[in-house]
Amino acid sequence: MDDGKSGRIHLLDEQTVNQIAAGEVVERPASAVKELVENALDAGAHHIDVVLREGGKALISVTDDGIGMSPEELGMAVERHATSKLRSAEDLNAIGTLGFRGEALPSIGSVSRLSITSRAKGADEAWALKVDAGAKTGPLPAALSAGTRIEVRDLFYATPARLKFLKADRTEQSNALDIIKRLAMAHPHVAFSLSDGDRVLFRAERALSTGDDAQKARLGDILGRAFTDNAVAVDAVRDDLRLKGFAGLPTYSRGNAQQQYLFVNGRPVKDRLLVGAVRGAYADFLARDRHPVLVLFLELDPHAVDVNVHPAKAEVRFRDQGLVRGLIVSGLRHALGAAGHRASTSVSQAALGAARPATSPVTRPAYGEKSALGGGFHDAARSWQAPTSPMPEQSRFDPETIPVSARHEPVTQEQEQAAQREDYPLGTARGQLHETYIMAQNADGIVIVDQHAAHERLVYERMKASLEKSGVARQMLLLPDVVELDPDAASRVLARAEEFAELGLVLEPFGDGAVVVREVPALLGKVDSVRLVRDLADDLAELDQGLTLKERLEEVCATMACHGSVRAGRRLTLDEMNALLREMEATPHSGQCNHGRPTYVELKLRDVERLFGRR
Amino acid sequence: MKLTIERSALLKALSHVQSVVEKRNTIPILSNVQIEAADGQLALTATDLDLAIVEHTGADIAQDGATTVPAHTLHDIVRKLPDGAQVGLSLNDRTLTLNAGRSRFTLACLPREDFPVMSAGELPHRFTLPAPQMKRLIDKTRFAISTEETRYYLNGIYLHVAEGEKGSTLRAVATDGHRLAQVEVALPDGAAGMPGIIIPRKTVQEIRKHLDEFEGEIGIELSDTKILFRFAHAVVTSKLIDGTFPDYSRVIPEGNDRLLKISCEEFSEAVDRVSTISSDKSRSVKLALETDKIMLSVTSPENGTATEELAADYSAEAMEIGFNSRYLLDILDQVEGDEVEARLADSASPTVMRDGADESALYVLMPMRV
Ligand SMILES: Nc1ncnc2c1ncn2[C@@H]1O[C@H](COP(=O)(O)OP(=O)(O)OP(=O)(O)O)[C@@H](O)[C@H]1O
Ligand SMILES: [Mg+2]
Ligand SMILES: [Zn+2]
Repeated sequence: MDDGKSGRIHLLDEQTVNQIAAGEVVERPASAVKELVENALDAGAHHIDVVLREGGKALISVTDDGIGMSPEELGMAVERHATSKLRSAEDLNAIGTLGFRGEALPSIGSVSRLSITSRAKGADEAWALKVDAGAKTGPLPAALSAGTRIEVRDLFYATPARLKFLKADRTEQSNALDIIKRLAMAHPHVAFSLSDGDRVLFRAERALSTGDDAQKARLGDILGRAFTDNAVAVDAVRDDLRLKGFAGLPTYSRGNAQQQYLFVNGRPVKDRLLVGAVRGAYADFLARDRHPVLVLFLELDPHAVDVNVHPAKAEVRFRDQGLVRGLIVSGLRHALGAAGHRASTSVSQAALGAARPATSPVTRPAYGEKSALGGGFHDAARSWQAPTSPMPEQSRFDPETIPVSARHEPVTQEQEQAAQREDYPLGTARGQLHETYIMAQNADGIVIVDQHAAHERLVYERMKASLEKSGVARQMLLLPDVVELDPDAASRVLARAEEFAELGLVLEPFGDGAVVVREVPALLGKVDSVRLVRDLADDLAELDQGLTLKERLEEVCATMACHGSVRAGRRLTLDEMNALLREMEATPHSGQCNHGRPTYVELKLRDVERLFGRR
Repeated sequence: MKLTIERSALLKALSHVQSVVEKRNTIPILSNVQIEAADGQLALTATDLDLAIVEHTGADIAQDGATTVPAHTLHDIVRKLPDGAQVGLSLNDRTLTLNAGRSRFTLACLPREDFPVMSAGELPHRFTLPAPQMKRLIDKTRFAISTEETRYYLNGIYLHVAEGEKGSTLRAVATDGHRLAQVEVALPDGAAGMPGIIIPRKTVQEIRKHLDEFEGEIGIELSDTKILFRFAHAVVTSKLIDGTFPDYSRVIPEGNDRLLKISCEEFSEAVDRVSTISSDKSRSVKLALETDKIMLSVTSPENGTATEELAADYSAEAMEIGFNSRYLLDILDQVEGDEVEARLADSASPTVMRDGADESALYVLMPMRV
């Protein structure tokens, strides 16, 4: 492979060049950082150190300990369409490296003062090459112990028009940091650092462990321990696809979908498909305006995914979209299902925070405000206390009006023994507070259950199960509804007709660009079928799945569940409370209510002891 | 303006007009009722711009005049005054003072000049209709009026002249797309040339209120955009729904040949009983028809099942069909005779139901698939 003087690096033939997604490679400092760090990863580096001055406008320096380049290779590396990663157009179908176009270095070199110092593995000298706005000098001998250091000075000085579009230094810097974090998430065995020349802004050590542990440790470094503590591992395989990663518990949710990361064969990508699949998988647990935090790694045969669709390589195209979506939805559902009744520990941390003695009052930072304590604790509190949807009024209680008296039924000896005999995760009920909360004791702590929220979830799960068993009753229409759509939307909707019929909505084609609604789910009553079908068409266009219908049905179930469950304020006997706890343990997803709020909080004994300064 | 009026007379008139006034308005004066004293009478006017009502009532008028005050507030005040109280109203500049016994209220007014006047325009078609007939047209159809906004043309009662075997009739039809109700009365003199019109649901409700207290002939005047109803003391003017009512005759099946006759009371009680078990909103009830009997059943995945057998007059082939029990009860509620007749085709086609004692009303119900 390493033929000719240029070593590993060679020019691509014209045909291959023409097939490469064209467009702007470097738009801002962050995109240059991305290209350089990706090159370092492709070179097999174990340590990558990035320095940015003035947000990267003055200097971007990336140093790695990878395989390095010989002087010949250095000369080739800055030529357009020169790459060591791709030989022919054929290879474009199965890209295994982050780079493949041979565009990044020449693009950067044409708009800045670029200098590359490198020492090829095994060589005893280093060489340096300079490119100033496209003009090449060198290579000349230089000093470097190993690997490669690339310095980009005065980015865009050669193109003043572009310079004007750059944002404030801090914004550019945080964009670059975001990119480094994303790449770091996918490469736990590579150490990363970012500094502004004076201060270290980010550092992630090489993971010493292997596999999931390494991954988890790295994600903890980047997203905060609160995330890894409140996430479940995802591991699902279908055909040649493998999905791994960590999915945040519904109780650890956010107001936006920004903290959802997808990596395809180690490459961070943005994909609409992820948004839809995640929404589908969490639909049962989260209000529409709450979003889970998650990191997913999809590994698949490079032939099954086209990464050559976006100039910044930020998007990919799957050969079988449906398969990928299906795997993500089922993988997430499965992982969340296995989590069972587990609610996030961030909840109890927040509760503890609120319970801290008055000497050091913990004030909750305003939503969105950066906390001085950093990620973990306050984030957790925020994620729990941020307004989701309005609290169900019946689960709120007014301490003014309700006498503060704990209700404690005499615990019989028999009950006491039963509690000791079996070690229930949610413990044994000890009493009810404010006729709203069940207090239970388990092996190593205290469990507080919101009786209405918990029961509502149980009723909802039961209702859904029976709906699934008996099917959705359909009201036939005396006057079928004709819905005018555009032809594309109509055929999209009709393609899913069978699926919708199972949910009670029967549609038929009606000329060009229209469908006729023949039957509607009886559960929805006198539903506006025109609006329903339009919403479904939008869903399909946007997310490639018709969520609206299922969501509407589930909404009805949820409302009915709310009305059909014990209210706050209802006195419960110990037997009733214990029955509820046992049913929660037996019911998947009972850790959060239908709006993603926790149904119970667990306080570990050691946390309680800490509250009293015993630890 | 200065006048005195008996509390009960004022309350009655106000309760008629205040329901026209929407609870929330972006145009402040639409929250008001116009009060006008003239010719020895007090006239109250309210409007929501689609519907206007003017109600007259006797009062002891010392000085003529007119103004507007918040309708719901005035209504609430008068409602809470003691029975038999004499209410004095007097207008001074920008406020209306209300005196009754030792109570005294001062209400902010808006000038009557700003109060929107709804002009009826030319109303070329005029006829009168006895109140009981109007009541029938409304009562037997309004349960089927649609509330779905997309098909706005179903949000009212379609009133039109129908040509039948026994000559022309005045017919009312309403449907929500799931079921349909149709009732007719003899065509009144002068109605022959009227266009088919759709009377909005809110107007139907307002008219219906007057029919409980009014026995005489209602004067009706209409064009193809507006309608006016003249009662003894009140005049209601309304816009009509600007849309085309669907050709409903196509969904009324002609050939349904399986005839079921059953005691209406027993049937409706049984449907009500068995549907107790269904906890979900779809409330489906299944009917199994066999020779001279019918078996009702409801299955609820959560609660269990309920069945009830009823004697019935049925000799066609055995069949099963499911209905929304709420819809079924709505129709059975309309039946005044002892017996209800249902003509069925199969479990996926519309069923026609009639009052055994009343030829003039007909209901169509679409089944459910359960
Ligand atoms: N840090 C590095 N260590 C070793 N070799 C490098 C390094 N950076 C670049 N190279 C070599 O230079 C070549 C050109 O790099 P460049 O980034 O321009 O293109 P690429 O990575 O092949 O493709 P792309 O344009 O998609 O990034 C690479 O193929 C690689 O052989
Ligand atoms: Mg590259
Ligand atoms: Zn609730």
